[in-house]
Amino acid sequence: MPEHLIPTSNLIGGWVAVGLTLFIFSFLYKDNPLFKLGEHLYVGISVGYSVVVVWFEVFIRLVWQELTKGNYEPLIPVMIGLLIWTRFIPKIAWLSRLAFAFVVGFGSGVAIPRVVSSYILKQIEDTVNPLVTMAGGSVSFSLSFANPQSGINTIILLIGVVTVLFYFFFSVEHAGFGYATARAGIYFLMIGFGAAFGYTVMSRMSLLIGRFADLIKFSSSDYGYATLVLLAATIATLVSWELRRRRSGGAE
Amino acid sequence: MISIDRRIIFLLIALATSLPLLHPFGLPIKVSPEVRAVYEYIENLPEGSVFFLSLDFDPSSKPELEPQAMALLRHAFRKNLRVIGMTHWLTGTGLADDIFSKVAKEMAKESGKDYVFLGWSPGTGSLVISMGQDLYKAFPSDHSKKPIEGMPVLAGVRNLRDVTYLISLAAGNPGIEMWYVFGKDKYRFEMAGGSTGVMAPGLYPFLRSGQINGLIGGLQGAAEYETLIGQKGTAVAGMDAQSADHFVIIALVLLCNLFYFVLRGEKGRPGFNA
Amino acid sequence: MIVLKRQLPLAITFIMGVTFALQYYIPHPVSEEAITHLSKWMQIISGFALALGLASLFQVHAVKIKRQVAGWGYSVILYVAMLVTITVGLFWGQGQTKVDGAQTAFGWIYDYTMVPLQATMFSILAFFIASAAYRAFRARSREAAVLLVAAVIVMMGRVPLGQFLVPWSWDVAQWLLNVINSAVRRAILIGVSMGIVALSVKIILGYERSYLGGGKDQ
Repeated sequence: MPEHLIPTSNLIGGWVAVGLTLFIFSFLYKDNPLFKLGEHLYVGISVGYSVVVVWFEVFIRLVWQELTKGNYEPLIPVMIGLLIWTRFIPKIAWLSRLAFAFVVGFGSGVAIPRVVSSYILKQIEDTVNPLVTMAGGSVSFSLSFANPQSGINTIILLIGVVTVLFYFFFSVEHAGFGYATARAGIYFLMIGFGAAFGYTVMSRMSLLIGRFADLIKFSSSDYGYATLVLLAATIATLVSWELRRRRSGGAE
Repeated sequence: MISIDRRIIFLLIALATSLPLLHPFGLPIKVSPEVRAVYEYIENLPEGSVFFLSLDFDPSSKPELEPQAMALLRHAFRKNLRVIGMTHWLTGTGLADDIFSKVAKEMAKESGKDYVFLGWSPGTGSLVISMGQDLYKAFPSDHSKKPIEGMPVLAGVRNLRDVTYLISLAAGNPGIEMWYVFGKDKYRFEMAGGSTGVMAPGLYPFLRSGQINGLIGGLQGAAEYETLIGQKGTAVAGMDAQSADHFVIIALVLLCNLFYFVLRGEKGRPGFNA
Repeated sequence: MIVLKRQLPLAITFIMGVTFALQYYIPHPVSEEAITHLSKWMQIISGFALALGLASLFQVHAVKIKRQVAGWGYSVILYVAMLVTITVGLFWGQGQTKVDGAQTAFGWIYDYTMVPLQATMFSILAFFIASAAYRAFRARSREAAVLLVAAVIVMMGRVPLGQFLVPWSWDVAQWLLNVINSAVRRAILIGVSMGIVALSVKIILGYERSYLGGGKDQ
């Protein structure tokens, strides 16, 4: 007997969530109707959710509510937005170019100084840090690998940035000293990609852990052993589908 | 190479994930300097400081970023900071609202007085600029449609320049880089980032240059933060499964290479390609 | 007409691009007022652009149903799911998943269908990354061996079991991330950013016109 009763809507919701999760996981066996059903439901529900949120957050909150307060400024972007929608009417679709020009021009303009400042200047500034520090009237050079800002790590970072940038610079032939520089760049890149792979594995596994944690939660008696029952049902469905498919000569 | 049906590999991964979740072995979590930096910055903020938390993710990254969000919110509410929340990801709006409601209820915090969840609005970079110029023009009301003008939590806050600390928990773009480029670069608030494991390596240049003062990377980062605040949650619970999964992958990679070199040696091929 | 269709959009792009590139460097109140208003307008225009994207999806599946191509039944399911979600969202919940702490019908759909579907869709990649690691991650060359070793060190060093069994893996992983990885990512970031700036300049000056959507009169 469960210690506390789950509300009915949550109980039904738990069974639906487990069922849909197992539909998607069934792809691990092979592409099948259960997976296709889950996939199309996902797209449909996501689009429906997006439509509702855009309606309330943009058209109601940002436009309608402002108009009712007597602020008519939103009508200007509404006109520009309607120009975007002329794309659906072939005869006047060219009007959408005016709207796209407005948006793209603004986006490009605001991006240039900000990208130069944030991504280029700030990054170069940190790459050319001082190698030595002054302490008590004497100069010292840190050999500590544990401190990312130490002298030795600053040299390694500088070499890494320059060699990788050089590797991607194909306007100059990678010969002689250039060849050695490009090769060094490749090794830096390989270590970087290795670190990226390690973190990607961590990330994907974390997502799986999250789903399994939910499946374990819904396998309890509180939820009527939803996971176990639906897992058995999903396996039975896949087995019967596979047998039918083989009997009909693998037409799918 | 000895081929293994990939469904056996799938089964190994399923077992490596589920068994530690059912029977955890509880290894200690080591805290990295980049996560500790975020914790210590929040810990040293005076009561009443304005803390902006942008939950820039959707359900596809929930297992990694929801634990980060909950740990940060618990810490911020414990420090009695004034919290402003929002999301740049349309499909993450419901999730972000749920996180704020859950933690606020747990910590007995009131919407409008202790925190405000602004919800979602389109525009990404333009939205950040709009908030940087005038928060009330960007968000006339909060997610539950209450006007934000006059809310006690926003007293003295006109725009992003009045924010003390901003953290973006991001699963991609729009996310941390966008907040820096269109936000911190001009409006000069301090900021940090929390990200999925996939994004984390790409954020280390920003961490090094001081553009972000801390980084919480993936489920491991969330587990470190939960350890620091002394309230273990789903992230710490998931780390044993994470360990098991990683070791299965390492074993598979080593096995693959063992077979490759043994078979190559048997066929008498020459050494490494240059 | 050619002026309206070709020259006017390019002129608008140029004026907007130059104005708002210069705005960054001009702290005058008029300049600040301009960016305040324009950024607010962009929020609303972005909403219209999003609606355009959503409408395209409607169209693609409507065509599939009309022509009854293979699998059109699934397009019907997609449409039904979409319409049910829109109806529930508009009339039961006003677009909110929670009202005064209580879950709405729209919130039920979000929590028990959309969240599990979206989360599971991305989580199956974990299985495929394991399968790919076994099949393809071979040290065929020195470079591949370096990649492999770095990956193994990071995978060990970033989990408690690895830190417990091989304590130095944590320190080495931290160094790889903070120094080598930072160098690589920084170089890529600088290169890509220069590309973004170059593309933005080309758009503003009218050399890059693909955003106008093609056509003879471009």
